[in-house]
Amino acid sequence: MTGLAVHDLSKTYGGTPAVRTLSFRADPGRVTGFLGPNGAGKSTTLRILLGLVRPDRGTATVNGVPYAELDQPSRTVGAVLDLAGAHPGMTGRRHLRVAAALGGHPGHRVDDVLTHTDLTEAADRTIGTYSTGMKQRLALATALLGDPEILVLDEPTNGLDPAGVRWLRELLRSRADSGRTVLVSSHQLSELEQSVDDVVIIHRGSGLWSGPIGELAEVHGSLEEAFLTLTSTCSSITATAEEAA
Amino acid sequence: MKSLVPAEFLRFFGTRLWLLHLAAALACGLGLVGLVAVVGPENSDPPLPPLGSPEGAGVLLQFVQMTLFVPAALGTFAITSEFRHRTIGSTFLAEPRRGRVMAAKLTVHGVIGLAYGVILAAGAGAALWIGSLLHGTTVGLAAGDLVSTLTRIAVAAAVHMLLGVTIGALVRHQIAGLVVVAGYFYLLEPMLMLLPGVNQIYGILPGGAAAALTRSSWLSEMVAQQLGGTSALLLPAWAGAAVLAGYALVAAIAAVWWPLRRDLV
Repeated sequence: MTGLAVHDLSKTYGGTPAVRTLSFRADPGRVTGFLGPNGAGKSTTLRILLGLVRPDRGTATVNGVPYAELDQPSRTVGAVLDLAGAHPGMTGRRHLRVAAALGGHPGHRVDDVLTHTDLTEAADRTIGTYSTGMKQRLALATALLGDPEILVLDEPTNGLDPAGVRWLRELLRSRADSGRTVLVSSHQLSELEQSVDDVVIIHRGSGLWSGPIGELAEVHGSLEEAFLTLTSTCSSITATAEEAA
Repeated sequence: MKSLVPAEFLRFFGTRLWLLHLAAALACGLGLVGLVAVVGPENSDPPLPPLGSPEGAGVLLQFVQMTLFVPAALGTFAITSEFRHRTIGSTFLAEPRRGRVMAAKLTVHGVIGLAYGVILAAGAGAALWIGSLLHGTTVGLAAGDLVSTLTRIAVAAAVHMLLGVTIGALVRHQIAGLVVVAGYFYLLEPMLMLLPGVNQIYGILPGGAAAALTRSSWLSEMVAQQLGGTSALLLPAWAGAAVLAGYALVAAIAAVWWPLRRDLV
């Protein structure tokens, strides 16, 4: 089984459910948008998928196995997460060299990804001097070091300028077109609408929709309309249930 | 594991942290001992035994032993920086088998701690020699005893750095980790050493074991003399080494095992 699969996943922090019985798939050759309001449980789900957080229940697998059991994790999955930072006192090049050494990637990959993310000129500056957009490009460069077959990106457009957003969109499309898997979370609907094939919508930790974006658009007209309808319906049901309780 | 150790060395030399280690080792060895040696221990208040006596040289080396909280704090600083700047996330993504990551970090910091200890001890030895020259005397310890004591100080420094790394891995928060390390090694242990009655457990604590290893009993004896009590009971040097090795082992197991069970949030 290839791609990413989440099945019956649940996680609670201090009595507050972050993810509730969530199931979905992200398949090879497709860009899957992972959509939800702030605090919906997107980041928690991605952290579980990448082995950084342990679920209370359910499974999250990469190519059929838990992330921690992958033979070559950073050749299989490249990830951009807010939890995967960079030391501000280190240069961008050194950060990538450390990441390449950790993942067992050849040294030339550092120059490759610097070129690919347009960071070559800034490579020898300390990361503390980088703009938010440059830090995001560095995170993407780190994710691409192992030329992975799967990309998992949590809010990757944060801080990117319009040219950067377009570059990222084209990157995601080209990776999916070459048969790779892309899972990208965002709360910016317009960005997703232009670049995704499938959509997973979650709200308050629960899955509301999972399927091709075309089917969603057929029912609701647009991604934005679908998102607002589904999440507001869910909120009303939850509020009614809470009142009844 | 094979690629983790070089990566951790790259990380260490990738920021100015190595300069901080070097400056601290020189300040605590060459600087501290040099200052007292140049002024002359007999000119301090209360006067200390002169450099030319075995006691005088030993006392100065005990000053170095009393700075072992510094490598512990540096170890804590290094590992908590990973949590503070969230680089630990990138590390665990590249190698999700966290036990291997922590084993590599302990290996690297064991080597760094030993290098710190060598610079610390070499600085202290050089300061003793320079001070003796200035005062027209010779170091009051035979060359063999001096080298042996300095070697033990270097080993004790490496173990303290490993203890600091472990505390950092368990506490994670940088300020909290540094407070724990400084509070324990700089305040609590010396207080336990000085309190009559309670000081009998000092010998089995990390500081007491390090004092036994480096044969540093002067301060405890002086305080006991002034207070009229008994000095802290130190173990034989070999037993001090064994206790210190035990702490290092327990610390290593805790550092490797504990992070496996915690979420990264």
